[in-house]
Amino acid sequence: MGQAVDLGVHCAGLACANPVWAASGCCNYGRELAALYPLAELGAICVKGTSLLPWRGNPGPRIAETAAGLLNAIGLQNPGVDHLLAVDVPWLVEQGATVVVNIVGRTVQEYVAVAARLAEAPAGAIGAVELNISCPNVREGGLQFGADLRAAAEVTAAVRAATALPLLVKLSPNVTDVVAFAAAVERAGADGVSLINTLLGMRLDASRRRPVLANLTGGLSGPAVKPVALRMVWEVAQAVAIPVVGIGGIASGLDAAEFMLAGASAVQVGTAIFADPRAPLRVRDELAAWLCAQGVGAAREIVGAARD
Amino acid sequence: MREGGRPLEPHADGRQRSAWLEEQAEVRAHERRGLDWFDLRLHAPQIAARALPGQFAQLQVRPVGPAGAGLDPLLRRPLSFCTLDPGRGEISVIYRVVGRGTALLAEAAPGQRLSLLGPLGSSFPDPRRAPARPLLLVGGGLGIPPLACAAAWALAAGRPTRALLGARTAGYLAGAAEVAAAGAAVTAVTEDGSAGRRGLVTAELAEVLTAEADVWACGPAPMLSAVQALCRQHGAGCWLCVERPMACGFGVCIGCAVARADGTGYLKACTDGPVLRGDEADLAG
Repeated sequence: MGQAVDLGVHCAGLACANPVWAASGCCNYGRELAALYPLAELGAICVKGTSLLPWRGNPGPRIAETAAGLLNAIGLQNPGVDHLLAVDVPWLVEQGATVVVNIVGRTVQEYVAVAARLAEAPAGAIGAVELNISCPNVREGGLQFGADLRAAAEVTAAVRAATALPLLVKLSPNVTDVVAFAAAVERAGADGVSLINTLLGMRLDASRRRPVLANLTGGLSGPAVKPVALRMVWEVAQAVAIPVVGIGGIASGLDAAEFMLAGASAVQVGTAIFADPRAPLRVRDELAAWLCAQGVGAAREIVGAARD
Repeated sequence: MREGGRPLEPHADGRQRSAWLEEQAEVRAHERRGLDWFDLRLHAPQIAARALPGQFAQLQVRPVGPAGAGLDPLLRRPLSFCTLDPGRGEISVIYRVVGRGTALLAEAAPGQRLSLLGPLGSSFPDPRRAPARPLLLVGGGLGIPPLACAAAWALAAGRPTRALLGARTAGYLAGAAEVAAAGAAVTAVTEDGSAGRRGLVTAELAEVLTAEADVWACGPAPMLSAVQALCRQHGAGCWLCVERPMACGFGVCIGCAVARADGTGYLKACTDGPVLRGDEADLAG
């Protein structure tokens, strides 16, 4: 690591030791990765999308590989906010992790209830809330909010009123104009936006003449989506005043640098974790080495620099 | 590479989980063995030292090199251990070329290094816990190879062990020689009669199964469902090594769902399994 490089970033009210976070849905609640490295080394960990009551998730097959990518239709299987607060948050605090809680709901009331429950965690235990209105794999609680401007603003405002924690809204790429959504949730009180969630896609098994996923369609992630994500981060970052967290196919330090140059204050590494559980730390170290080689003293200096 | 140092709790029924790690394994031997299947022997001393039958490794299909793992194919390939030789620090896997990933893997040459994550998942139950109970190993097709180290483990524990192995044709009896080499009495059947008796391995099982036996099975889903039903009928012990599409293999993606028999949700094939108790999984769900 470039010892001279200052990797610290402030993003939407969250102070992070480095700008590379683990993305929600790709690190569960942290225990598996903690077997390999201290979670405190992550800029932040965005835990699995958490609902008011446990969600069962979708039947299998839930996973299908694509060219440089991955389709998933997990369906937000999670043990619910009671489990999060009783078991996972205390453990994550012990690990010294910077915790972002990704929340999901089927109705505005459910989102609000989960957000409100997070106040039960000890002060400082949860760093931020990431409002997930962009899962393409559930009938309710995903795109009915993330692909409807009014619904997106409504749920953001309601959750804003229910929590004092920094509030990120995770946006869907499955819309015509992602900038309009970023602006709408900014006006509704979001402290930042994270993007992109997965792109709706599908695979067919020609010999069986059937879709591969039991859910028929799934969310595409991985390096295949990076150009789409980068374009959306670029557009959103110049349209809103709140910080942007870049997500989408980031698998190297150079990928992270590109998103930051496009305007992201921090980035999330997701699908890359599946093949390389150390990917977030590798991305961090590669980013530091790149910054060092570029003669940049602090990671935050490159945020939006491609637009200067 | 920092290893997965946290000891993982064994299951109450004796299935074991290991602390896992990433290891750059050297290809020691890599041979085409049948129609389209390959036998890959790797020097992976850290993984070999802690691996148990029924567990698996996630293999990067492209050798370690200056270009890195590459981004396509993106995912590792989960392969169950066929033989385990901790003394020589070696493990072997048998796989079939089914797509681009395994086709790339088939090009790996002796001396090259492959990145492995492992040992992952839950093993067959420790055979020393019931040393007198007869053990029936039931394997179908590419489900046969994992039974080779399972047979060796059971026989070392003094378990009376018999293997019933089936495949479509003789050319797909991959790993049957390894099961026999481990010392198990092998009955082979093929659907076309090209090796052993003609028929299904589950018909053989129905003839010999008793309540006193334990069954360890690995194979295609219809075979596992039939084994599960037979064990239930006879009151025999039943452990099924399942296969599901999975992305990570270590529990974070939640992709490899297997429905719980009690209807309360899903097990993960990667960490709860791949060896599941016959009474906990609803293979149709």
